Amino acid sequence: MRVWLRLCACLFGATAILLAGGVAKAQQPIRIGVLLPLTGPFAKNGIENWEAMQIARDMINERGGVNGRKIEFVQGDATSPNAAISETERIITKDGIKITTGSFASPLAIAVSQAAERHGVFHWETTGAAEIITRRGFKHTFQVGAPARKYGQAAVDFVIEDVAKRLKKPASDLRLALLWENRAFGKSVGDGIRAYTGIKKIKLVYDEGYDQFATDMTPIVQKLKDEKPDVLIAISFPNDAILFQRKAKELDFNVAAFIGVSAGYSSPDLRNSIGDMVNGLFVADFPPKVNPNVLKPDVRKVADEFYKRYEDKMKRPPAGHAAAGFSAVWALFTEVLPKGKTFEPDELREIALMLDLPEGSLVNGSGIKFTNFDWPDDPKDAGQNLRASIGVWQWTKSGNDQVFPPKLATHEAAMVPLPVWSKR
Amino acid sequence: MTTLGQLVISGILIGGIYALMSIGLTLIFGVLRIVNFAHGEFLMLAMYGAWAVTTLLGFNPYVAVLAIVPAMFLFGGIVYRIIISPGLDKPHLVVVFATMGLSIFLQNVALMMMTADLWDVPPIFSHAVIVGALRFKAELLLGFLITILCTVGLQWVIRATYLGKAIRATVQDGEAAMLMGIPVPRIFLITFAGGSALVGLAACVMMPLFSVFPTVGLNFVLIAFVVVVLGGMGSIEGALIGGICIGVVQSLSSYYVAPAFGQMFFFILFLLVMIFRPNGILGQKGAATIGIND
Repeated sequence: MRVWLRLCACLFGATAILLAGGVAKAQQPIRIGVLLPLTGPFAKNGIENWEAMQIARDMINERGGVNGRKIEFVQGDATSPNAAISETERIITKDGIKITTGSFASPLAIAVSQAAERHGVFHWETTGAAEIITRRGFKHTFQVGAPARKYGQAAVDFVIEDVAKRLKKPASDLRLALLWENRAFGKSVGDGIRAYTGIKKIKLVYDEGYDQFATDMTPIVQKLKDEKPDVLIAISFPNDAILFQRKAKELDFNVAAFIGVSAGYSSPDLRNSIGDMVNGLFVADFPPKVNPNVLKPDVRKVADEFYKRYEDKMKRPPAGHAAAGFSAVWALFTEVLPKGKTFEPDELREIALMLDLPEGSLVNGSGIKFTNFDWPDDPKDAGQNLRASIGVWQWTKSGNDQVFPPKLATHEAAMVPLPVWSKR
Repeated sequence: MTTLGQLVISGILIGGIYALMSIGLTLIFGVLRIVNFAHGEFLMLAMYGAWAVTTLLGFNPYVAVLAIVPAMFLFGGIVYRIIISPGLDKPHLVVVFATMGLSIFLQNVALMMMTADLWDVPPIFSHAVIVGALRFKAELLLGFLITILCTVGLQWVIRATYLGKAIRATVQDGEAAMLMGIPVPRIFLITFAGGSALVGLAACVMMPLFSVFPTVGLNFVLIAFVVVVLGGMGSIEGALIGGICIGVVQSLSSYYVAPAFGQMFFFILFLLVMIFRPNGILGQKGAATIGIND
């Protein structure tokens, strides 16, 4: 009898230990490294992305996590490309992170993905856009946001399909000018626009790069004024975008349509700084908010919750890059991780490559289908999302309205031609 | 011709702003013979101050001078006592690293307290000044005039007042000055605090023209260093000439060559001056060791 009792006690104890171990494992959080610029010149947008990602993390954890496991973020401050590399190395080697995400700006994305790839870590890039990010033969880097050329294409398509008609001119007769900040993002978008306008047979009357830390915009604005373009496409960061607009007003430089590309022209700071002067400007960017009819019904509910939470927290609606940051990590939490068993980078890579989500599957209207060295346009490309949505929205008195492409649009483009400064 | 005129006038006016923010740096360098690597962050701090006085209290940024200049004088005095003074008799690198550390510290304090948002004050004058076909902001013109007044005023203080004499004596020979009864440590303190107060003045002038954010100093500090070295280390009127040179070269090269090369050209000018006039345009031989020019 005693032998039986001892045997039962041993079996009970072993079962309890096994169960406890199993429960403990099930409850272990999935740790994800988030590399964003939280200090330094890009901090403004980095922090907005961080807030959006935290909302995604809280929403998924409140829904019980991923297969019962909570999501936990490990933060790295990718303030510059050098810092991005060292911070990525730190969280990989010291914290044992095998999944990273971030990193807002292209130069940072290039650095983070390089460090992650070196350690065989799975990197889920949210908003970095430079083409080179996915053209280095990396196997574990996936860029959910649109590549730089798409921003430019959206701007040029908008000019051809919408602005030219409103100006009652054939697109080929329009005097188009291109101004780009000369770092990774601006150059990449500028290169894309130059190539695309060439294909569309539109001549650029002005095409120059500048340093985003420039303190005086007089020479740029004066040269543009001398060239008299009808439409200006500009790629800038927040501070230089503000300086440019103020100088344009000072020197009375007017265009019939102004299209900023992402970054500086999509930042809420622009309205805070230049007030109503912002009304009428177009922005080619991730859509901050798309026509809800293009979203799948379950995605629409997630979108409503995200926008409400973000506005409650930040007291303003999210910019396009913040909505894109949310969309990307939400896709990671709901489309990639739940299908994983080991959460090893190779397994996650296979899952990511299998994704085939139609447009409208993500909160910002995007779908997901990644390249895998099999894209006819560029066989060197791997991990680029071919279904990332990019459109054009317009600053208005009440906020911002999506105006292009027609499928995503919530409003029609207005204020074309843009009134001259004395009437704005 | 209009374009050339516009570029030159704009270059001169923005050059005046560059000079104004560099005068404090050159003054400190001339007397204490130290380089304040946190100069840009002093500017940032003062711009936040000017923004707060303007936005929260409803004053004009030029009126904010009355609050910001004394506040920056006090702040400079505190920084001197706590950070600069203990490192003065130690190897040069101590002060270099101390001011660099202070720079990073101030940037991050600003980021924590003010977030990375860009803050602005509303324009003071709603219309540009128009002279013929030339247009420029009234705030820029006013800033340039303030720079001229500041340069003249500072020269007068250095040449005609007892404090100025004491400063010059300290620069020429600190030990002899001390033997003559000049309180050299106090002269150092007043100069550092005064240099910081001048940054405060520059911040109030710049606030209607530029946004303030935690790293705004980085956009200007490199220009300030070039202005100081180009004009002649320790030379106040040299800073004015250096600022204008940079403003005009930047403006013309950005237009006639390419905007991306604006900085390259003023660095070429900088290199040429360093090769042919190593002490700067108005610097005198050995300025780096004897300090402010007589």
